[in-house]
Amino acid sequence: MPLAGRDWPTERHYDLGVIASIRATELRYSYGDTLAVNDVSLDVAPGEIVGFLGPNGAGKSTTIKILTGQLTPDSGSVTLLDLDMASNREAIQARMGVCFEEKNHYNKMTARENLEFFGRLFDVKDLDADALLEKVDLLDRADDRVSTYSKGMRQRLMIARTISNTPDVLFFDEPTDGLDPVSAQAIRRVIKDEASRGAAVLLTTHDMMEADSMSDRVSFINEGHVLVTDTPENLKLAYGQRNVRVRSRTGGEVEEVVIPMDEEGAGERLRGLVTDDVMTIHTEEATLEDIFIQMAGRGLE
Amino acid sequence: MSSGSDVTSKSTMVRAIMAKDLKEFSRDRFYVFMSILGLVFYVLIFWLLPSEVDETITVGVVGSEQFDFTEVSGRAESEGLAIVEYETTDELKAAVEEGDTVVVGMAFPTDLSNPTIEVYIGPGVPPSLETAMTGIASEIAYAAAGVPPPVSGFATEEIILGTDRAGSQVSLQEKFKPMLAFMVLIVEVLALAGLVASEIQNRTVKAITVTPAKVSDFLTAKALFGTSLAFVQVVILLVAVRGLDNGPLIMLTAVFLGSVLATGFGLLAGSIGKDFMSVIFWSMLIFIPLLIPAMALLFPGEAATWITFMPSYPLAQVLIDVSAYGAGWSDVAPLLGLLALWGAAALGMGWLILRKRVQTL
Repeated sequence: MPLAGRDWPTERHYDLGVIASIRATELRYSYGDTLAVNDVSLDVAPGEIVGFLGPNGAGKSTTIKILTGQLTPDSGSVTLLDLDMASNREAIQARMGVCFEEKNHYNKMTARENLEFFGRLFDVKDLDADALLEKVDLLDRADDRVSTYSKGMRQRLMIARTISNTPDVLFFDEPTDGLDPVSAQAIRRVIKDEASRGAAVLLTTHDMMEADSMSDRVSFINEGHVLVTDTPENLKLAYGQRNVRVRSRTGGEVEEVVIPMDEEGAGERLRGLVTDDVMTIHTEEATLEDIFIQMAGRGLE
Repeated sequence: MSSGSDVTSKSTMVRAIMAKDLKEFSRDRFYVFMSILGLVFYVLIFWLLPSEVDETITVGVVGSEQFDFTEVSGRAESEGLAIVEYETTDELKAAVEEGDTVVVGMAFPTDLSNPTIEVYIGPGVPPSLETAMTGIASEIAYAAAGVPPPVSGFATEEIILGTDRAGSQVSLQEKFKPMLAFMVLIVEVLALAGLVASEIQNRTVKAITVTPAKVSDFLTAKALFGTSLAFVQVVILLVAVRGLDNGPLIMLTAVFLGSVLATGFGLLAGSIGKDFMSVIFWSMLIFIPLLIPAMALLFPGEAATWITFMPSYPLAQVLIDVSAYGAGWSDVAPLLGLLALWGAAALGMGWLILRKRVQTL
């Protein structure tokens, strides 16, 4: 099952071994003469978190709009939960949760009213707004209008709304962007919980540390084309450089040596440096951003 | 917690969106204030306007004892003329010049061998009345002097072509009813446009379209909400100004079709407007020209041909025809048909533009 762009070796592809909850096959979409999405293929398994990474204008938003049924692709197909989006849009959307980057709440309504409104649209018969709000630590503000909320509170409410229909497929677009570390951590915990109960998660983020720590696999997209999809570990092994940085005190001087571990004889050199004079030893590995730059020739910003 | 596996029924979703819209509307202080204040203000204006037509023209007269104005006065009253006698010509002239009650003065001759009647016209008297008064002067002179009028022997038959509106003059209150209804519609168009613009601006509509609700459910809910809001408010106004006393079913039909028309323009203004101020701007730009037919009804005479081509013309005309002249279904059917066509066109246009706007977000 091909998961990544065609230009990359097939051994980098990942066999899910199960029916994918999200499957995009050779999607293409143009805005006029501009090709925004070019042969994008992507799979997300149940319970899996896939980080969808790329710079602004790379085609992430358009791809997500297609995957969530907001846009119809010029060609290619979208299958969610084994249902074709073109003919089962409403049935799919009933089992889908979308967390937008913009905090699109009804600000004149309370958090509880917002959740209840979307619960009615999803036909959730026994919506437990209190439980949802407690999950994102907003229960004490449940009956306050959203217009009085801080940015972090609005984002937490967005998370509560996204999971209000207990979705099987989840799309998160920059869910922790601009949040304080405590709020960001709380949101990451909810996303992990959702994946743990079996939901497939497609996560778009600019935060490479977040993508690295949260994602089972990451997919790089650039200029409308998926460059590669694989686990962060595999990508680092395949494309990154591992270094060991050793700082020693020799006489009154502090000396720092960097040993690329992929070079021949690196182990021997390292053993030679480990003496009583060593102050610190650090291992270094490539970040996802380093790998993206290496592949795309540009950064993620 | 469980999500419905079946697709939520369309009516449930439309009702949910409408209930949400009502909640949002009721929490918008500006529109609620404008709606309530507007209604109270318009009803107050209505009841302060004159409810009867007073078209009596007071004519001051001076004449020698050869003229007996007592009998003439009685006959003239039934023709809409009030005759007031003055002692001297100077007093008469002063009264006419003052113009408070007497607008025309007539000084009849003391010397009947040289019978010239001087007619004094007050400032601001229209030329048509001036000519009529000059003619009436000789009639009064003959009647008061006890001799027959100069022209006699002709039998006259009055044939009214079209609706006899000269014989059943409409009070300013009646003439204002369509205008007040339009003023209420403007506020409701603003409210709907504000709701639509806020959905687009805050991107909340995107959140709706990734649920099982379709764009068409969103548009249906907005159209129904806008129509209901406008309809209810105008009906409240009409009840308060006794506008449903004549032909209530026809009036309600016209108001419903007018609400559809207003909703179409509300959707259009909301789609174009980017913020509160631009919504106000576009709503006014669209709706002020639509007031013209209602304004035209305040003035006597038939509406100019170009006014009859305005979308709001049939609504204004039906409201005045039914409430003031007691017109029936057969009289206003063509106008109601035209209004239905305009309403469908406006709603269709608003619907398409808003759908395009939502789809390109």
